[in-house]
Amino acid sequence: MTALTRQISAGSTLAVSLTLWAAIAAADDEPSDWLNRMGAAVQSTSYEGTVIRIHDGVAEALKIVHSVEDGVVREKVVAQEGNGLEIIRNGNKVHNILPDRRSVLVEEWDDHSTLFSTLPSSEIRFGNQYDVAIVRKDRVAGREALNLAIRQHDEYRYGHRIWLDIETGFPLQTQLIGEDGSVIEQFKFADIEINQEIQASALTSSYSTDQFTWFTESAGHLTTDIDTRWSSDQLPDGFRAVSTHEEKMQGSDEMMTHILFSDGLANVSVFIAANSGKMITGPARVGGSNSYCVEYDEFEITAIGEVPAITVLQIATTMQQR
Amino acid sequence: MNDAIRMQLSAFVDGELPDNEAEMLLRRMSQDVELRQEVAEYMALSRVIRGELGVAGADRLYERVAAAIDDRPAADMENDGHVAVSRSVKPLLGFAVAASVALLAIFGLQQSNSVVEPEQNVETEVVAVPDIDAQLEQRRQFFRNHAKASSQLGASGLSSRLVTLRFSAAVGDESEVDKDSKEDKESQVDDAASIDAINNTDEASSQP
Repeated sequence: MTALTRQISAGSTLAVSLTLWAAIAAADDEPSDWLNRMGAAVQSTSYEGTVIRIHDGVAEALKIVHSVEDGVVREKVVAQEGNGLEIIRNGNKVHNILPDRRSVLVEEWDDHSTLFSTLPSSEIRFGNQYDVAIVRKDRVAGREALNLAIRQHDEYRYGHRIWLDIETGFPLQTQLIGEDGSVIEQFKFADIEINQEIQASALTSSYSTDQFTWFTESAGHLTTDIDTRWSSDQLPDGFRAVSTHEEKMQGSDEMMTHILFSDGLANVSVFIAANSGKMITGPARVGGSNSYCVEYDEFEITAIGEVPAITVLQIATTMQQR
Repeated sequence: MNDAIRMQLSAFVDGELPDNEAEMLLRRMSQDVELRQEVAEYMALSRVIRGELGVAGADRLYERVAAAIDDRPAADMENDGHVAVSRSVKPLLGFAVAASVALLAIFGLQQSNSVVEPEQNVETEVVAVPDIDAQLEQRRQFFRNHAKASSQLGASGLSSRLVTLRFSAAVGDESEVDKDSKEDKESQVDDAASIDAINNTDEASSQP
């Protein structure tokens, strides 16, 4: 093959690639289509790779093997930093293995993915609080990706940027974006193999746990749907109550009211309990999640959610009984 | 680490590193713990420079406290083979208390560093508050219950699961232990040769 032929061949390949890309983009040019593809991909895709999580001045790596077979999720997650936490999942049954403690904490999870417990879908009514747009074609973990932006309109919620694998719709990278555009938290696959055969041995624990001590989380907290007189007339725009429960916390006989507010994408829980005088009042934060606790008459009110600190502050301090 | 790498990290943190170089850097980060930490410190520094006091360093504080826990005599932590419940519970109680202290340190730091100015007096001297384990356990349950309610709704932030994971890994509270099932499991666990076998015994023990 001459150099000219090679150039023509390369040019043809590029042209075919561009045509293919254009065809894909044309077929699924609506952001909602891509959100739908993402939702389906998270539930059905098998993958193996390394995720880097960067947040709060810490970068950590997680090795992940995730298999979906006949709708049953099997998964192994190994933290590469710290205590070597290993999570083995078989369906909803989850074993958190702490090798340095020689302990296993058994839990039940009812979603499909450890990494992506929930993701925005096209069914979400974004209302006037967010815009969704396709930003550009990009490249993540060596794969062609489409960058989607969910932009918030005010300071009461976070924005999101999601890079979706063009071939499968699987999210290869996600970013939680603050009001000033800074990245609050980021997940990114450094390497990933999608829908390759996964050996059963890759999903078993690296440790022999037969001499470990096992702990079982108590069965799910008791909840009852109720009507409540609690509300706020100063909720940030777009937030509304979507569920109200009365629930008993584990290890306690006290009932508390749990109201879930949502703007369609961001959620805030408000817990209202009798004032014990023992709660840590004020703000607290873990990753992108904020909470704020305040005493109000004979009650303790705690707002918690994946929203900016100002949002939980405003909600917690304006709750009152009608 | 040479200056070229430092410049590359700086550009990466500022979002100015070309995609192909960022890609290579991410791959290196996946293999190199020190490099990850270096990036994290650059990011923390970047946030400080931008005036975002935030909670940078909180997780490293957690790691330091966790490391202190790890420095306890190994004999305190070990279960030497098949042990009675009363023996196996004791070190984990110690762990639960120590882990709660670690979480308290995180929350304490975050409260004092918060950029939000509360409208009313906020208790920042959390160390003096009694029954701190119960408070931290309650906050952990708040996060858990919120994550559960959010996932049932079908949409929420992307990080709730990992928040729950961190709490799950950090707190092994004795109050959470179903002693009967633990005894069952400890009696069965000797027969478990693999995680699948353990899964089966767990399912069996959870049946009514």
